[in-house]
Amino acid sequence: MNSSPNKRALTKATLIKVAFRSFFLQASWNYRGMMSMGFLYAISPGLDKIYDDINARENAYMRHFEYFNTNPYFASVVMGVVLALEERLSRGEINDEVIYDTKEGLMTACAAIGDGLFWDSWRPFVAVASLILASGNYMLTPLFFLILYNIPHLYFRFAGIFWGYVEGTHVIRSLKKFQFPQIRQNLRYGTLVLLAYMIPNHVNLHTPFLLTNLPMEFFYFGEKVVQGIGATLLVALGIMGCRARVDVLLISFLLMIFALVLYHWGILI
Amino acid sequence: MQEHLIASLLIALIGGIVDLDSTATWQFMISQPIVAAPLTGLFLGNLYGEAAMGLKLGLMVGVILQLLWIEQLPLGMNVPPDAALASVLSVALGFIAGHSYETYSEREVCYTVALLLSVALGLLGRSLDMFVRRLNTSVDNWVNQKIEDNQFWAISLGHTLGGIFTFTKAFIFCFLIVWFGVEPLKYFTQTISLKHSSGFIVVQGLLPAVGFSVLASMCLKEKAEIKYFAAAILFFTILPAKIWLGIGAALIVMYKTRPRKKK
Repeated sequence: MNSSPNKRALTKATLIKVAFRSFFLQASWNYRGMMSMGFLYAISPGLDKIYDDINARENAYMRHFEYFNTNPYFASVVMGVVLALEERLSRGEINDEVIYDTKEGLMTACAAIGDGLFWDSWRPFVAVASLILASGNYMLTPLFFLILYNIPHLYFRFAGIFWGYVEGTHVIRSLKKFQFPQIRQNLRYGTLVLLAYMIPNHVNLHTPFLLTNLPMEFFYFGEKVVQGIGATLLVALGIMGCRARVDVLLISFLLMIFALVLYHWGILI
Repeated sequence: MQEHLIASLLIALIGGIVDLDSTATWQFMISQPIVAAPLTGLFLGNLYGEAAMGLKLGLMVGVILQLLWIEQLPLGMNVPPDAALASVLSVALGFIAGHSYETYSEREVCYTVALLLSVALGLLGRSLDMFVRRLNTSVDNWVNQKIEDNQFWAISLGHTLGGIFTFTKAFIFCFLIVWFGVEPLKYFTQTISLKHSSGFIVVQGLLPAVGFSVLASMCLKEKAEIKYFAAAILFFTILPAKIWLGIGAALIVMYKTRPRKKK
């Protein structure tokens, strides 16, 4: 064990190495420990630096070969905190129960924050913003999606390990400063506005009746209004289906039949 | 024949890399349909000397699949349909099979049928994902024994094996589907009469509505929001279809509702 008290055992380079290894967190995802092997693989350079003694190292490895599951982008926060605690354990300041309890509490908190922020809010928002560009045939849309999406991803992944390591168990207080619930609500509103733009403009619904019954000067406006109303009705039906927990593939299949029948009757072209 | 073999290998390689990103490694989101599909279209288009067409098909497929599976999340034990492989295969099958047709209508039918087929392949991909996770569980048990014997090298090996399983699964799956799937798809497209085939183009135009429903259902949390949402749709129905209008309105709303520091 490290004998010099209060001296940080891990350098910046080691922490960055751990953050890089966290990119592979889920490579060996399995039904027993979920991300356990990935977590251990990521923090092992840190554990090797903290523990010189082979038995102490084995104990540390076994301690972290247990169930682990959190949001992958926030996992580095947990890794930083765990390494800080392992360092304190190696100095005899705490016992291993503290590490088990903190890790379990933190991984649950980070899963809730990260899943809510990234999966539930950020990804849909960036996706819809990109879809608007894609439907305008902007060829650089994939690049726009990748850059925009990964700015916060990389920020939390690399900054998280340092927050966790420096602040230890107080890291949750720092995370609270971000006001994640408000950010999520803000992103949700943004997504809804973009969606409201997409619905009347990017569902292609054309009917031949307008061609024969509307004067040419009103044709484009008339077609847009019909398309908007038709798309809104379809989406409203779809929302009801989703809320009734009907499978999305079944909804797609029903829509396909509906479209083919209307096409066959000459209502849609 | 040789061109088809090269295309199959290229798609298998793209499928393997993209599938690694979906959960196993990185998670930069190149596995998202809006990225994976245009990427496949670009590489495949380059191979056939029609890069712009491939990219355009990729964007079309990407938009629909992105919307369709946007709420499917890899949370905990949940294994979502493999949207990454579905995107790659949809573009690959549609492009290679459609490449041999002269008319716009026949090509579009090929694209739509490939898209529908790829949805089913995405579900099959989920089963393969579950199989890989079971394999990983066996590796996990082996690594556990090795650590008890102080053989720490087993962690890196076991963990790397997990990545190799994922890549190999996607590589073989994509190769076999593209190698054997193109001819049946061509045959199917030929059997559809032109009158019915145009119906598939109508289907393609309406499919985004399903994705919009999924996303709206996910984002609308309170009853009061439905009124504002309907008003916004009406607003954009009357206004001309300009991208900057949508993005501008979203930015204004987000600025007005931004998080503020508590005093």
